[in-house]
Amino acid sequence: MRFFPQPLLFPRLRAWRSAIIVVLAILLTWVLPTDALAQNSDNGTNLQPYIDRVARQISEFRLSNGMKFIVMERHQSPTVSFMTYVDVGSAYELPGKTGAAHFLEHLAFKGTTRIGSQNYQAEKPLLDRLDALFTQIQAAQAAGNAEQAAKLQQEFDQLKAEAATYVKQNEYGQIVEQSGGVGLNATTSADATRYFYSFPANKLELWMSLESERFLEPVFREFYEEKDVILEERRMRTDNSPIGKLVEAFLETALPSHPYGRPVIGYETDIRNLTTADIDQLFDTYYTPDRIIMGIVGDVYPAQVKQFAEAYFGRFQSRTRAADVTVNAPAQTEPREVVVNLPSEPWYMEGYQRPAVTDPDDAVYQMISSLLTGGRTARLYRSLVEQQQLALNVSVAPTFPGDRYSNLVLLYAQTAPGHTIDEVAAAVDAELTRLKTEPIPFEELDRIKTQARAGLMRILASNQGMASLLPEYEAKTGSWRNLFEELKAIEAVTAEDVQRVANELFQPQNQTIGKLMAVGG
Amino acid sequence: MAKWFKYGLITLVISLVVVMGFGKSSALAVTPRHYTELQFPPPPEIKIPPYSQFDLSNGMKVYLVEDHELPLVSGVATIYTGDRLEPADKTGLASIVGEVMRSGGTDDHPAEALNQFLEQQAASIETGINTTSGSASFSGLTEDLEEVFGLFAEVLRQPAFPPERIDFSKKQWRGSIARRNDDPDGIASREFQKLIYGTDSPYARTIEYTTLDNITRGDVVDFYQRYYHPNNILLGIIGDFDSAQMRDLIEAKFADWQPTSQPVGRQLMSLPEVSQIQTGGIFLVDQPQLTQSSVQIGHLGGKLDSPDYAPLSVMNEVLNGLGGRLVNEVRSRQGLAYSVYAFWAPQFDYPGTFVAGGQTRSDATVPLIQATLAELKKLRTTPIREDELARAKDSVLNAFIFNFDTPYQTLSRVMRYAYYGYPQDFIFRYQKQVEATTVADVQRVAQTYLKPEQMVTLVVGNSAAITPPLSSLSPDAKVTQIDVSLPSPQG
Repeated sequence: MRFFPQPLLFPRLRAWRSAIIVVLAILLTWVLPTDALAQNSDNGTNLQPYIDRVARQISEFRLSNGMKFIVMERHQSPTVSFMTYVDVGSAYELPGKTGAAHFLEHLAFKGTTRIGSQNYQAEKPLLDRLDALFTQIQAAQAAGNAEQAAKLQQEFDQLKAEAATYVKQNEYGQIVEQSGGVGLNATTSADATRYFYSFPANKLELWMSLESERFLEPVFREFYEEKDVILEERRMRTDNSPIGKLVEAFLETALPSHPYGRPVIGYETDIRNLTTADIDQLFDTYYTPDRIIMGIVGDVYPAQVKQFAEAYFGRFQSRTRAADVTVNAPAQTEPREVVVNLPSEPWYMEGYQRPAVTDPDDAVYQMISSLLTGGRTARLYRSLVEQQQLALNVSVAPTFPGDRYSNLVLLYAQTAPGHTIDEVAAAVDAELTRLKTEPIPFEELDRIKTQARAGLMRILASNQGMASLLPEYEAKTGSWRNLFEELKAIEAVTAEDVQRVANELFQPQNQTIGKLMAVGG
Repeated sequence: MAKWFKYGLITLVISLVVVMGFGKSSALAVTPRHYTELQFPPPPEIKIPPYSQFDLSNGMKVYLVEDHELPLVSGVATIYTGDRLEPADKTGLASIVGEVMRSGGTDDHPAEALNQFLEQQAASIETGINTTSGSASFSGLTEDLEEVFGLFAEVLRQPAFPPERIDFSKKQWRGSIARRNDDPDGIASREFQKLIYGTDSPYARTIEYTTLDNITRGDVVDFYQRYYHPNNILLGIIGDFDSAQMRDLIEAKFADWQPTSQPVGRQLMSLPEVSQIQTGGIFLVDQPQLTQSSVQIGHLGGKLDSPDYAPLSVMNEVLNGLGGRLVNEVRSRQGLAYSVYAFWAPQFDYPGTFVAGGQTRSDATVPLIQATLAELKKLRTTPIREDELARAKDSVLNAFIFNFDTPYQTLSRVMRYAYYGYPQDFIFRYQKQVEATTVADVQRVAQTYLKPEQMVTLVVGNSAAITPPLSSLSPDAKVTQIDVSLPSPQG
């Protein structure tokens, strides 16, 4: 989920040509949390000095209120990228409150007591009254008192219009863009909420000022208008998207009673019923300094960043950290399956339950995913797409939909014309069996390792990429250094490791199958 | 006022010193300030990385940019071609050429060997042909440069085009055709282009089962041979190399490639005529399963070399982005859409489009269209406010440095301007024109270039649930249905 639609690519000719790629990209970017390192590893050992050099440009400090800053100096260009990583995602939502984390992400663009309002003193009582009325409308509806509800609704609509007269729409974002900010957006995943953009390097202090006030004195105005916007977002991503519907049903089936089994964007009923109190509750509980990690990458000097950070973000009160979510989902004991019938060409999915990213075998899961679909030579691609031509494409996500807790390795494919989901399933099974029964050749293992190393290398020169990855590794693994340590873990993986983990993972009692079957036309 | 200004100046000097890294001490206390009270160091200067340009004796134009940050080298060749040059009854030919050049391997390195080698070195070579150009790119570690570049040259010079890979590519396209109605917004974009340019226009036509059936391996080889000549190619390379050595390597791999005596470059391209096919009208693609409508509204647009490109892009800024009129009004105030936009979208060498649109729940379809049209009308009838002009211009000008964020941006811009025959300082002329744009300019271009009577309105949605109906949009509104159902795959 993101706050703003992807920057509109000017309508491309024959846009459908790339429809498949786009669908996969969407799946990977919004359903799957980004784990840019997922497909890569070793060989060119003379890359290590470069990686070490970059690692030396990274420093960190923690404010006394617990907020962590990770700073990477990169003076190649006079720009700087910022990432506010909040260690709370949809997995933290209470039952019946799905969509709250994402709703909060949208409201974090609505301004503060000083930004976004003509007159906050006059606006505030109206906002409070609106919330009270909304609660009364809900109560009247629940009591079956339609007449009362309609009367209240009328009052509500008038008040909403009055409140709107005080709003300076999108002033917060406007200040950022007018000051030269680019890429302003935010995303919510199962694990985290991220707010990000880049500035010319002379605007470092402006980010400090705007971003600190954003979370120090936020005002969640236009709550009810934004609810309609989010419902439109849900219609676009899920209700009117065959693959969106399959993913929602698939997760419910694969991860019942698990915080990852619910949609990040939320169920429609839950979104409709959310109140500002629900959002305040989430904000107060989880937007605490010790759950906020800042990534700052670009043309900056750590001493100055620290000086500014202490002044601006030192204003946050330290708070007791709320407990992390605990996963109490029952262990899976037998294969599961869900079938969704829609007017769409078929899709096939297989998910296998796996442990969190902190599992000692995490690198092995990543390698298995690369072995299967990490390129033209990857096993599933070659077998299903090129040789047997049963599928138009096939992909594997090593973690899905989050990875802070136990989750899924997900395989998905689109059938080729004239071929069935069952044929695809059988071909997938044959490749997984091969992985379980035959040790992988050295050359293949070596290739994946080289690719991992080169893959990391290619991210190092991206301010935005590093600003995103460093806080994520910090939050999920306890240290940003694991971004680099992971390479060593990947290098240490043996053919026996791959075979062992494949045997643990690819078992019927771990498996959920999802099918999108064509109906109508 | 004067006092404040003076104070600001002092802050400016201080922060300058710190930012430049001269002031290591953090003794200067920082007081948190609201954004309106901040003063900033001067904006960073644009630095353009040095690049060299030379021609091989066979006419290939080469651009080199050294960048030693990481041990990587990548390159891209731009070929004067494009799928707009393929015959209409063989639509898809250029795409297949672009794909199979790489996927089919070379005479010396069949696909399997090529894939194996490249992936073993974590390197890549990719090729493709889009509407207006062809491309071939490579990327690899410095230590593998010679081998990777050698294979890159082979792919450009000796693609094997094996029949089974051509068949495979066609099969993949057939799969895409079968799936092209699964995404409502995809239908909207595709059909909108057809309404504007015409179903058979190279700028809108689609690959069909029948056009695929018409394509032979002979066609593929002919198309390749027509356009892939050294004097019809621009080659740019960037990364961790020494320019003199790189030049030797390029000479070694490409100098013996014989040029063609046929016309090359832009002389080779006879560009199709463009005119708007449907002027005005309301069109509907009925998809009963949908709860949300995808809307596109617009007409034929213009080119980037228009003298009014800068004020038109300021107009884009006034309408779009956070704080833009459409987002403020249609999304944030009325809650009608998650995605709403209106862009003057010019192209380098043919008229682009003006396209507005968004997605909204079925029963809000007409309100969304009306709200969007109302904003466009307002732009024509009423001057924008000075602060809106400032917001729009500042958003472009203060972020201008991001056009120079990486050396690769410079290389690809230099090549793009060369390819389309634009002046190399085009971007700086644009910058100056944006600076000079006035409130009156924005209104003038809105009045000149936005033509309500020519706007086509296309809706992909559930007709039965669109209430009020599309016919209520105007007194004499007639809604034309578009049938997007697929032909039989047997062609």
